[in-house]
Amino acid sequence: MIKNEYIPFRSEIKEVIRHTAIEYTFRMEYTGDVKPGQFFEVSIPKYGEAPISVSGIGDGCIDLTIRRVGKVTNEVFEQYEGDTLLLRGPYGNGFDLENYKDKELVIVAGGTGVSPVRGVIDYFARNPGAAKSVTVIAGFKTPDDILFRRDLKLWEENLNLILTVDSREGDKSYREGLVTAYIPDLEFGNMDDACAIVVGPPAMMRFSTMALMDRGLKEEQIWISQERKMCCGLGKCGHCKINDVYVCLDGPVFNFTKGRQLLD
Amino acid sequence: MDVNTKALKKNAFRVTKERGKTASRVRVPGGHMDACYLSMIQDIAEKYGNGTVHITNRQGFEIPGIDYADMPKVNEMLQPIIEGLDINQTDPGTGYPASGTRNVSACIGNRVCPYACYDTTAFAKRIEKAIFPNDLHFKIALTGCPNDCAKVRMHDFGIMGMTLPRLDPSRCVNCGACVKYCRRKSVEALETVNYRPKRNEEKCIGCGECVLNCPASAWTRDEKKYYRLTLLGRTGKRNPRLGEDFIKWVDEDSIIKIILNTYKYVEHYIDRSAPGGKEHIGYIVDRTGFEEFKKWALEGVELPEIAEVTTPVYWKGVHYTK
Amino acid sequence: MGYCYKTQDLQQVFSALTETYDLYAPRLFPNKGAFSDTDLVRYDRITSPEEIVLDRKSRFSPKEVLLPISQTLFYFTEDKVTEPNPPKKDAVIFLRSCDLHAIRRLDYMYLENGPEDSYYRQLRDHVKFALLGCSSCFDSCFCVDMGTNKNTDYDFSLDLTGDTWKIDVKWQEQEELFRKYAVSQETVSPAFVTETKTRVHIPENLTAKAAKSSVWKEYDSRCINCGRCNFSCPTCTCFTMQDLFYTDNGKVGERRRVWASCMVDGYTDVAGGGSYRKTNGERMRFKVMHKALDFKQRAGYQMCVGCGRCDDVCPEYISFSHCLNRLSDAMKEVEDL
Repeated sequence: MIKNEYIPFRSEIKEVIRHTAIEYTFRMEYTGDVKPGQFFEVSIPKYGEAPISVSGIGDGCIDLTIRRVGKVTNEVFEQYEGDTLLLRGPYGNGFDLENYKDKELVIVAGGTGVSPVRGVIDYFARNPGAAKSVTVIAGFKTPDDILFRRDLKLWEENLNLILTVDSREGDKSYREGLVTAYIPDLEFGNMDDACAIVVGPPAMMRFSTMALMDRGLKEEQIWISQERKMCCGLGKCGHCKINDVYVCLDGPVFNFTKGRQLLD
Repeated sequence: MDVNTKALKKNAFRVTKERGKTASRVRVPGGHMDACYLSMIQDIAEKYGNGTVHITNRQGFEIPGIDYADMPKVNEMLQPIIEGLDINQTDPGTGYPASGTRNVSACIGNRVCPYACYDTTAFAKRIEKAIFPNDLHFKIALTGCPNDCAKVRMHDFGIMGMTLPRLDPSRCVNCGACVKYCRRKSVEALETVNYRPKRNEEKCIGCGECVLNCPASAWTRDEKKYYRLTLLGRTGKRNPRLGEDFIKWVDEDSIIKIILNTYKYVEHYIDRSAPGGKEHIGYIVDRTGFEEFKKWALEGVELPEIAEVTTPVYWKGVHYTK
Repeated sequence: MGYCYKTQDLQQVFSALTETYDLYAPRLFPNKGAFSDTDLVRYDRITSPEEIVLDRKSRFSPKEVLLPISQTLFYFTEDKVTEPNPPKKDAVIFLRSCDLHAIRRLDYMYLENGPEDSYYRQLRDHVKFALLGCSSCFDSCFCVDMGTNKNTDYDFSLDLTGDTWKIDVKWQEQEELFRKYAVSQETVSPAFVTETKTRVHIPENLTAKAAKSSVWKEYDSRCINCGRCNFSCPTCTCFTMQDLFYTDNGKVGERRRVWASCMVDGYTDVAGGGSYRKTNGERMRFKVMHKALDFKQRAGYQMCVGCGRCDDVCPEYISFSHCLNRLSDAMKEVEDL
């Protein structure tokens, strides 16, 4: 009898953290190997299954940041503390932290693209000195769209955090502008040690990688993570295919030597 | 010159504006025929007519410029056409036995058109066989689908093809094509409920767009053929109007029975003093009231279970006499 | 061993087989075509050899036996997940060479690309294949150019010559049954075609660069993204999940998967609201490149088996085989990019 990969397991919701009007982080009970950038297929009641990146890894738990969609109401989301959700995974390759240790790391993330790299950011924020330097350029549409506010203090203290919004809507306490605007001013000590992670909407990834390469980073020094529709996470449903890769099996994290061909 | 105009009209000839000349009227029930008859019509036009042919509104041919004296010879030449088109005839070689009931016309139907829900010509011919010859002035037309390209609502009896769509949910992939096409091309009778289309039976007009656009053959057509029967549309001087819905989801046999019943009704109630003894059915129904008509029309008719009869029927149209 | 039968003899074999097997074959569904008074040929259970449609191509492929169009994966309640029972009987699928080659492609996707799919495995392990010989091809077939015109990977074959059915049996457990009702024995090898009217050439130098060609542009307006090509294709394997909730709290219900099409709207929609490949030309490019290149790069052999169904069913007369033949020009066009 072979294993049925589609059968989910129940996981307790330990905490629900509301970030924005529509985005929540569910802190889920989970023990097992998992890497930042990997994802779980999460059964959202009254919606269905959706691939959700691991946005944080803790002791006996993982964070899943979920955007409320369709007919699902806030109440449905908020009443879940102590309840359970059906999960299966983790799937995909995730980020390999070894690639970034002792490097001058730049992380460029836009919107929900912050979720898959939050685990990476968090690791380096909690282990100052693991990398030569870490700069995080995180961009959101407006101040109301900012995710992971609870983390910002820790990140600011331990890394070079550039938090920017496309439109600050009168609130002068935020920087305004696209994430790409900050790439030309980045300082690198040794270009051989430079490396970057770019995650976000397709246009943002395209322009950010271009800007980084203009700064002298080579393709092999850049990693991206692709977001695609994924119904199985098992290389079957076909939705996530780009060229000859299945994002769920071969990604979602790609070194840019491969990832560059995948921007469709 | 002494000619019995009453007799020649019944024989499908016409009194024309040109003194001494008549025109022969050839009918094509269902509007579709073998091409070989065209050359026969050509021969008549060139031998006895003025070399021209008019294509009529009701899917016939009118051959003008014929001498009244040549009518018997024209009738002889018409014989292979009458036989070939399977027109009921009493005395072979004597032309058409009646002209009151007009040619049963039809759109091109499912012999060619993808939208048509049935073979319009075949049904037209079946009606033709059931009602002809008849002197009463009846106009019947058939159209393949609710697009009504044949403009059947301008007729006493309008027959519109309907498809009863059947869904096999196990073949449905929820692509949304049926819902989309029903919304954009038809009457919005479908909505998606739990990943499957749900059909509003009351709204559905049986156009078949869902079946036509289903990529997985989840929607198919019911084996039985159904029709919408519209009543008593007309052109003319006093009160031109569109035919109104009488029965939705009616079957072929019932339609034929209703038409034959209506002939009996008209025979009974027609005003024989009307000019030329001609009175349109609609005006008779206006006189007797709809309920009396319905009583006669549905006599002995066993409608299918899903048939929906509209009663009473009200007509609108343009009133020039009020 | 090869055997010959008249229909009534073969009926005995079929009757015996149906006791333990569901027999699936292309079958006629009168008046079930999309247009009124037209027929549909598709796979379904049969019980007699006469039901097998041999003179027409089935609109849908046999894949629906192994990959049901809509398949319930499990039922869930607050504390339990239950799988549905597998079919009671094993199956015999009657299919042509191209379609049997297509099964190999399904195997790749469901058994080799990532972890094994247990639902597919369950059905696949309980299927026997009966090869229907092809004494001639249909107009749109191009199996010879795809190398799928021959197949020896069957459990038994079936050819009808005049009124004689000829069968080559490789299925040892049932050899006795086939022998029992045979009228005579002779060496039988299933018919196959060696040339087709439709010819296809996929250029050896094809690369992903062809995506940049202008050939895809015309499909923006010609294609109506209905997905008929995908649903009729014996090698398309995509599916989408559907959760059906029986209760208001969304905790009791069923999960099923249904066929999906890369041509149909919604295929690439992500939960956040984004989507990729919005134009029909981009979707056509994705499909054609997948069939002609991407799959081959992963699996090592061509995906398309040349059955020609996609050409037969396209309401807009877009020919997939014609598009494949444009790839050489497409590569020339992008050579210097």
